Amino acid sequence: MTGPVSDSGGSTLKVLAATTPPPSRELHGRWPAARFRRLGLQTTPGRIRALAAVVVLAIAGFYIVANIAVGNVRDGLRVIGHDAGPQVLATGDLYFALSDMDSQVASILLTGREYSAGTGQQALNRYGQDRARADRAALQAAELSAGDPTDQAAVRSILDGLGQYERLASQAMVLDAQANHPAGPPPRNVIAVYRQATDLMTLELLPPAYNLTLEGGATVREAYVAKRSAVLSGRLWVALAGLAVFAALAGLQFFIAARSRRRLNPALAVATLGLLLLTVSAVRLLSDQAAHLQAAKTSGFDSILTMSRARAISNSLHADESRFLLDPGRADMYELAYLDKSQTVLYVASGNLGEYYTKLSAAIKAYRANPRAVRFLGFYGDEARADPGPAVDAVLSRFLQLQTDDQRIRQLMGAGHDRQAALLFTDRTAGSPGYDFDQYDQAVVSLIAGHRGTFDQMIRAGDRELGRSVFVSWSVLLALAAVGAAVLVAVGVRARLVEYR
Amino acid sequence: MRERATGRRRAVAAAVVALALVLSLASCSAGGPPSIVGKQTLRIGVKADQPGLGLRLPDGKFAGFDVDVALYIAAKLGVRPDHVTFVPVTSATRETALENGSVDMVIATYSITPERETKVAFGGPYYVAHQDTMVRAGDTAIRSVHDLGGKRLCAVAGSNSWKRVTQELSIAAVLVPAASYSACVAMLLDGRVDAVSTDDLILAGFAARAGPAVRIVNAPFSYERYGIGIRKGDLSGCEAVNRAVSQMYLDGTAAALLQKWFGSTRLQLDTYVPQFEGCQ
Repeated sequence: MTGPVSDSGGSTLKVLAATTPPPSRELHGRWPAARFRRLGLQTTPGRIRALAAVVVLAIAGFYIVANIAVGNVRDGLRVIGHDAGPQVLATGDLYFALSDMDSQVASILLTGREYSAGTGQQALNRYGQDRARADRAALQAAELSAGDPTDQAAVRSILDGLGQYERLASQAMVLDAQANHPAGPPPRNVIAVYRQATDLMTLELLPPAYNLTLEGGATVREAYVAKRSAVLSGRLWVALAGLAVFAALAGLQFFIAARSRRRLNPALAVATLGLLLLTVSAVRLLSDQAAHLQAAKTSGFDSILTMSRARAISNSLHADESRFLLDPGRADMYELAYLDKSQTVLYVASGNLGEYYTKLSAAIKAYRANPRAVRFLGFYGDEARADPGPAVDAVLSRFLQLQTDDQRIRQLMGAGHDRQAALLFTDRTAGSPGYDFDQYDQAVVSLIAGHRGTFDQMIRAGDRELGRSVFVSWSVLLALAAVGAAVLVAVGVRARLVEYR
Repeated sequence: MRERATGRRRAVAAAVVALALVLSLASCSAGGPPSIVGKQTLRIGVKADQPGLGLRLPDGKFAGFDVDVALYIAAKLGVRPDHVTFVPVTSATRETALENGSVDMVIATYSITPERETKVAFGGPYYVAHQDTMVRAGDTAIRSVHDLGGKRLCAVAGSNSWKRVTQELSIAAVLVPAASYSACVAMLLDGRVDAVSTDDLILAGFAARAGPAVRIVNAPFSYERYGIGIRKGDLSGCEAVNRAVSQMYLDGTAAALLQKWFGSTRLQLDTYVPQFEGCQ
């Protein structure tokens, strides 16, 4: 009942064909002889064709698996490196500019008619620069949030509110100029307008900016978790698919070699070698990319996010200090907010501000003596544990200086020296509290810049490797290799099939 | 041949199982504490004795602003209202309830403080209240928190409010311990304490009940950011809660709920999404 078998190779197929079950089994449709006949599997050319088809299918499978894995790498790099990552930086800048605008307005109102000290004009200039910065950062944030209606609505509401804020701020400054008061808290009518402005800023403008930063952080975290594990499991799939292609090619090669005198089929050998090389380099690419994503996230982005938040909260606690001086009616509120925010930035257990100054100084002293003993929590606790070094040390020293200045200013206020406290706070000459705050902010900015360097480097490395495998991008290379291998298999098989005609 | 075929089939099946195992191991590497995301049911801790915020009614059901916020957030997390169980918590039991897992979430006038953040994680805040002081109507001597020096102030176990007065502002009030704010109000009315100082939203609810017998001095002195307490380390839960709170403000639900529960009071209600604490 079996068809003529053209050689005596002991292949499994032959055994199967020779012992085909009785026709009753054919009704159940399991490996029926008729089906073999239809496929032509009982002849050597038929079997070669079938094996070649298996090889091509395996190549197609490899292509699909590798393409998905490379796609995951591309998505990961895009979200982390080009969308949400930069969004965090842009919205961080936006928060800083907005918050600093309010601080400068408070400084101007606190200086009063003692404007000639030069501080007033400086504050006014800086207010203008902040405004321009806020516009630039908002524009950038709007571009980056394209496609996300919730984020875009948030940016729009910030820009809308900013116009209103400016009107209220200039109104307060005009009233303040008319009041012609000495340095210190301005008259009630000025405070009333400033309250409207600062409430608008802290209730309507700053929260969406900060929340956008957080949302960017959440997006990066989610993309990282999903894409990194997808890339790693993709690596496994690529290796398995490569192995399957290799096995199928080896099988075909072996079958052909056994049926002909030729030991090697050059076309198939080239295809095998090429696909082996491709598998190894694809696995390497995926390993490297998973490592790039990990480094970009853990050595770059995590610290960028933590420090951007620390910078935002620091600016807002500095603004609370100015509001404390400006608005005695809300002094308690602003002082408690200052303490809460200081604790968020650097936490040491303490019941009140006086205790905080003492405990902070002790904790930083202990840290300087032994940088591995981080006895504080909060943003700087995280950062000091994650990435200790001179950049963190500089930030900590200057934060301590900031708190020491704050203590001096509050002592003056407590003793009833409102004017001296206001003049001390608004002073920006070297060694003054205003100068110290700028120095502190600079230290935070350079710490962020350091991590940004790592982040950008990793993302660039990822982009580069993905974009250029040898001469072309990985997507193109995979497509070319798959088509090329299939063509080689066809060529190699055809040369043998011709002999059977 | 039959044996051979089944043997091969077995081998294939074994290979498939092995592959599936390897792949599932590879994808399960991201561990962490159990998250509130993906849960079918939620146990949410709320106050049982604070009118307007979290109050247990005679029929055993809970009602108030916090309860409505909890139901909204649960819905955004994909949990139907009938799959939400409310569990009464007090100021003193909130951290423990989260830590030992008897609740999944706490929405109970729970101010975010740096100290509490060392134990639990906070989503939100979903509202920013202000601490104020309530006295007996006839008491005109207390006009701001600074007038509490030497006065008897109610101190609820586990609450942050009295610490704000005696520790943070160093005002030498005489603390009288109590278990809850409803107990404080009773003590204020019968003269065992001179003042109850806590968040304006809480005071408003009690003042509406006590009527003309009490007076809120209307001198707010702090920002109380009401957080949604969840277990520490549940990052995806915290992020999901924040998105839900954003939505609640964006779709007008927050404004409607504030109006529903506090519209009749003199409180100034803020209807803008608060600045979130952030998830860590």
